[in-house]
Amino acid sequence: MKSTRGMTLILAMLLTSSVLVAGCSAMTKTTSAASASDASQTVTDSTKAAAADDSLAKVKTAGTLILGLDSAFPPMGFMNDKNEIVGFDIDLAREVTKRMGIELKLQPIDWDSNVLELNSGNIDCIWNGFSISEERKAEVNFTDAYMQNRQVVIVRGDSGITALADLAGKTLCLQAGSSAADALASHADFKASLKNVVELSDNVTAFMELEGKTSDAILMDEIVAAYYITQNNKDYKILDESLADEQYGVGFRLGDQSLRDEVNNQLKAMAADGTLAKISDTWFGKNVTVIK
Amino acid sequence: MNFNVSLSAMDYSSMVSFLLEGTVKAVELFFLTIVLSLPLGLLVARLRLSKIMVVQIPIKLYLLIMRGTPLILQLMFFMFFPPLVLGIPVDRFTVAVFSFTVNYAAYFAEIYRGGIESIPVGQQEAAYVLGLSPLQTFMRITLPQVVKRIIPTIANESMTLVKDTALASVIGVTELFRNAESMKATYFSVVPIAVAGLFYLIMNSVVAAFYSRVEKKLNYYKG
Repeated sequence: MKSTRGMTLILAMLLTSSVLVAGCSAMTKTTSAASASDASQTVTDSTKAAAADDSLAKVKTAGTLILGLDSAFPPMGFMNDKNEIVGFDIDLAREVTKRMGIELKLQPIDWDSNVLELNSGNIDCIWNGFSISEERKAEVNFTDAYMQNRQVVIVRGDSGITALADLAGKTLCLQAGSSAADALASHADFKASLKNVVELSDNVTAFMELEGKTSDAILMDEIVAAYYITQNNKDYKILDESLADEQYGVGFRLGDQSLRDEVNNQLKAMAADGTLAKISDTWFGKNVTVIK
Repeated sequence: MNFNVSLSAMDYSSMVSFLLEGTVKAVELFFLTIVLSLPLGLLVARLRLSKIMVVQIPIKLYLLIMRGTPLILQLMFFMFFPPLVLGIPVDRFTVAVFSFTVNYAAYFAEIYRGGIESIPVGQQEAAYVLGLSPLQTFMRITLPQVVKRIIPTIANESMTLVKDTALASVIGVTELFRNAESMKATYFSVVPIAVAGLFYLIMNSVVAAFYSRVEKKLNYYKG
């Protein structure tokens, strides 16, 4: 059957061209900020410091700051009952962008891929209870710390556990990719004393494990824990001993110094004129911010 | 004790409407993928059967990689490799459609190939003798029979696709599963997850019913 060869070659050409067309259409559709700001650039590898630091200019031209968050992280960034994304970090961001004269775009992302999303240009900043750490500083350009936080252990009220030592031989769970995991790693003895450490996708699942007694304790941010416990009237206890003191900051790409500085300055201005304290009061009943 | 399963604190209607938004996204993802990957799979199957090595070997490699690696990793690869390594910005939803399409086309290709190879070769010989071109033989004799045979398997894959749309959540697409997770955090309850499960079931019931009808229509002859 000689003519099958001809047909096969035609089909092969059709296939390669259809793959190319599909690939091209994936390339031409871009996120709104990237398309506006990349018009004059051919390569967008903005992690290289060699790229001119026009990060602030690009965002101003685009007129939008894209904020990446895990929209299931109350009280920092989550959905309210009108299905809008709200939160303490969101209120801060709205105020900052208002002062910068630009719009705020909220982009829900998968928290595990937060730095990937940042570096690939899909988002301009990570602003979601993002704890500052030495490892993260190597990949992300942080603002000054704007809030204090501790990694604490939560147990059931009736468990009789009052200290970290009581958790020997027990199961602890935490959110994968969070600073809770880092905090635990730096307390090797405590970690070794546990029977099991379970990494979960989010904090609500962690609470489910605690409730269902699949886990005996959760390691998470004190701010988030306190919010959950009070909002839901749960009989959980937060142990006095914390595992790590840490601070939240806003994360930018390593090369985006001008953008980072601008947001930092806005936060400082908000601290100076009392706006920061006001927003903090609304959410936490007191001023938990630390930026000067 | 159930983890806050009561609906007292939940704004039920707004939760459901948010899940419906996610369902629409999932349905869009499903349709675009099916419409693109069914023809692409047929193309790939035809090339897989080719005797030209230069065509067959890359195709076999493509089939191996697409079926041999997790779809979730493929999604992440197509999402982050272009902007980080090639400097090409990509759109989330388009990446999801593209990734699902090339993945499912691989599976469909092997399904088609199984169907094509099950048709007795004597038919091809008879068609040749009767003066039909290879293309005519394929389109008018072989393919209709193949379609009838592979409907149950295609129905399987379609139902798997409906559920696989949940994987798009790892690249931030706001489809049903991701929306359900957000609602879970908002209301501190698993009810949204259960409702999402119900929505997936409803979608798949429609898919199953559709293929059942198609099978009946194609049943104008036995075998």
